[in-house]
Amino acid sequence: MAEQCLSSNFHPEDAPGYESILQCMRCGFCLAVCPTYALTNRERSSPRGRAALARAVAEGKLEFTPAVRDESFFCLDCKACSTACPSGVRVGTIMEFCRSQAQVFHPPSLPAGMLRDFILKRMLPSPALMETSMLPVRLYQRLGLQWAVRRLGINRFLPDTLAKMEGILPKLTPPLRMEIPEMIPALGKKRGRVGFFLGCAMSLVFPEVSRQTARILSRQGFDVITPKEVKCCGAPHLAEGDRDTARRLARINIDLFLSLGVDFIVTDCAGCGCALKEYEELLEGLDDNKRVVRFRAKIRDISEFLAEAGIRTEELRPVPLTVTYHEPCHLVHGQGLSVPPRQVIRAIPGVELREMKESNWCCGMAGSFALKELETSRRILERKLAHVRATGADALVTANPGCHLQLAWGVRELGMKQPVLHIVELLGRSLPTGPI
Amino acid sequence: MRLPTIYFCIIERFESLLEPEREPCGWRYAVLNKTVIDHLRQKVGAGNVYHEREDLLVYGYDATPEIAGFPDVAVFPENREGLQAALEVSRREGLAVTPRGAATGLSGGSTPFQGGMVLGLTRMNRIREIDEENLTLTAEAGVITVDLFNAAAAKGLFYPPDPGSQNVSTLGGNVAENAGGLRGLKYGVTRNYVMALSGFLYDGTEFHAGNKCVKDVAGYSLRDLLVGSEGTLGIITEVTVRLINPPQDKRTLLAYFRDIRTAGEAVSKIIAARIIPATLEIMDKTTINCVEDYAGIGLPRDMGALLLIEVDGHPAVVAEEAEGVRKILEEVRADVIRQAANAEEAAQLAAARRTALSAVARVSPTTILEDATVPRSRLAETFAEIERLKEKYGIRVATFGHAGDGNLHPTAVTDERNREEVARVHAFFSDLYEKVLSMGGTVSGEHGIGIAKKGYLLRQFGEGGIGVMRRIKHAFDPDGRLNPGKIFLDEGIPAGSKIPGETNG
Repeated sequence: MAEQCLSSNFHPEDAPGYESILQCMRCGFCLAVCPTYALTNRERSSPRGRAALARAVAEGKLEFTPAVRDESFFCLDCKACSTACPSGVRVGTIMEFCRSQAQVFHPPSLPAGMLRDFILKRMLPSPALMETSMLPVRLYQRLGLQWAVRRLGINRFLPDTLAKMEGILPKLTPPLRMEIPEMIPALGKKRGRVGFFLGCAMSLVFPEVSRQTARILSRQGFDVITPKEVKCCGAPHLAEGDRDTARRLARINIDLFLSLGVDFIVTDCAGCGCALKEYEELLEGLDDNKRVVRFRAKIRDISEFLAEAGIRTEELRPVPLTVTYHEPCHLVHGQGLSVPPRQVIRAIPGVELREMKESNWCCGMAGSFALKELETSRRILERKLAHVRATGADALVTANPGCHLQLAWGVRELGMKQPVLHIVELLGRSLPTGPI
Repeated sequence: MRLPTIYFCIIERFESLLEPEREPCGWRYAVLNKTVIDHLRQKVGAGNVYHEREDLLVYGYDATPEIAGFPDVAVFPENREGLQAALEVSRREGLAVTPRGAATGLSGGSTPFQGGMVLGLTRMNRIREIDEENLTLTAEAGVITVDLFNAAAAKGLFYPPDPGSQNVSTLGGNVAENAGGLRGLKYGVTRNYVMALSGFLYDGTEFHAGNKCVKDVAGYSLRDLLVGSEGTLGIITEVTVRLINPPQDKRTLLAYFRDIRTAGEAVSKIIAARIIPATLEIMDKTTINCVEDYAGIGLPRDMGALLLIEVDGHPAVVAEEAEGVRKILEEVRADVIRQAANAEEAAQLAAARRTALSAVARVSPTTILEDATVPRSRLAETFAEIERLKEKYGIRVATFGHAGDGNLHPTAVTDERNREEVARVHAFFSDLYEKVLSMGGTVSGEHGIGIAKKGYLLRQFGEGGIGVMRRIKHAFDPDGRLNPGKIFLDEGIPAGSKIPGETNG
């Protein structure tokens, strides 16, 4: 348990460490990179301001007021400030702790709390329940209801949040988790054996993308093991302030993947990758540290993994396409991976990478932010898409399902020409077609 | 990924139906009555006036450790009319007014030490004009320094002042503090580029000082008085700066030394050889390690000091000066001498140097940095003194700074919770300043006096000098409402303001 001030107004359980807050010396370097500060020009909505609020609570100078709660949720947790901070302060993480605190000091009303508990503690931990919950949406799409709603313009009369929900979901196909073989053997000269951490969103919303990931890994010479018992990585729980369930899921995933005897654990979801890499911190002082460290050492984002292993380029065919790359926050800021995705893109023959301005600026999705803070999210997205448009690229490449949904929605709304592709879809196009 | 977001939105919707609108908390209007706040909101715009405790709390600080105030209200006008209206309210209510840019200052200059109104200028951030015939740029005070630099660069012109915080600091703040930067040695500091200023006095009277003329000796130079006045004389809202041609060529050299004193010697020798690099920066071992922890650009962790030297200008001159610098470095036996491979590496090195202070903050919770400046011939001596005093007081100090300007930033790494150690730190600086002043130095090269260095100013100027400054302050601001508590030791606390450090609620 992190050290606390005696006079602290935080609840002792899951409070942000006092030292981690004190580390901020208020130089303000973070102000230049914070999307919410850029929009509001309001200090308390900046990383420096949020750290100061947390410090005031930690020192007993401020109660955990509704405004502190609101700021902790208004933070995108894009972690751009962590990259910019020379002192090593991680305000996003401090805000995650504050979201836990919010559940103590400002618990949701009883029915809302029950719904929240059901989602976080029951549904998310159960892939099967998740899959079932998507059935109505699939039905809605399959029966042509979506077509009718959009065609007749009914969606314009929906409340804004519902309209965005309706608009942001792509056409759903059956989830990948149950369809993907438990083991896909390596093709060509075998280079190793990897576990594929198939994230919920990837399986449910982007099954075709993750199919490409498995295909690429196999064609690059790796046995791909995809365990069906995989659980949610815990990122939504951290984001919503339920660290308890996050820890429970982490333990299950650690046990599961360590039992597979794989060299690496690969994911194509930046959000999952980031959460998996933070298990060590999540379980600090609670669990057998050696096992957690061993697990942590195996985690790789797909482009990190490919760049490290070296891409076999013999069978790659040219993809004549100019692309621009949007860096998911959870990849560039959360995992410090900026170069490897570009290495993968550049390795594809025929592809020209045209950099956009502020490629590492958040797209405004940020988990549930895009649906809770519609207007703010839209303005952040517009800033992003203006830079995309300026490149004149044929396609917009990214590497995270959240960004993917948000960008694809924005592109559609603004009538832009660029399709949004996950980096593995782009690489997949370069591979010969075949059964795998 | 957070797909189930949809469900959280349902929760949110659900909650908003169930929960009644929250009552405003009792302390909201505790200090200023609601009529005043409403009046301000009406005149300046509802979204530009903050009075909730959480907002006031974060408008109390800047980047100076141990110092924070607590304002009664924070106002961010978007134009001159709004600003004038805010000043009118402050006059009527007898509020102290503390102007604020990005609050990256290092002497407490923008902290509302005695409460009152924080007057933020970040929402007056338009670049008004780039005059390519007179080579000037006119901008509002809230423009970010690097935006100004880029706007000038887009026209093929150059604005040299580049304080460490240039990515966030504002032009107004730079002018008020007369900010320096990495290029000060050759190009000077903010003052050398300010041609004209306009703004408001404490009572809302508008003033204009200076103009676009290259020569101007009409009356006292109010412009020069206002530059570096730390917001105590007037509120600056618009600034016209001089632009110059960018250098055609530049070259960056790096030298590593086992002993920091050798580095000091090298600096003095470079200046004595009449070579004026654009940049001549120093970092000691602690700083090198902290910066390397953050930036990871391959700095040598085992070296005692590093010099970052950039020469620029006409290509022929650059070649000659680079050669001259190299010779001196060889002469003093620098342990490693290397040249930056390309512009990218050079920019990376300069950027890394800018992070020095914040990076040093990695080591400990509190960093207390000072701004001692000496004539450049006395640099090696100053380094020796820092080493000696460090030993004497048993504290950890990281030193970096603009060696070419004789401007050092010895930074004590400590923990403000350890009062006893902090007291030793202050004793260290007290001794150091004694020495610096005896060498003909100054207690602040570029950070200003603010609150942090009030005590040292008297030592430098004596009663006579301080007396004149006081009379100047009185002439501009007879009520003492503009940024009170700064520069002068015993400034009275205006009626209606709170005791420093006290919070309401």
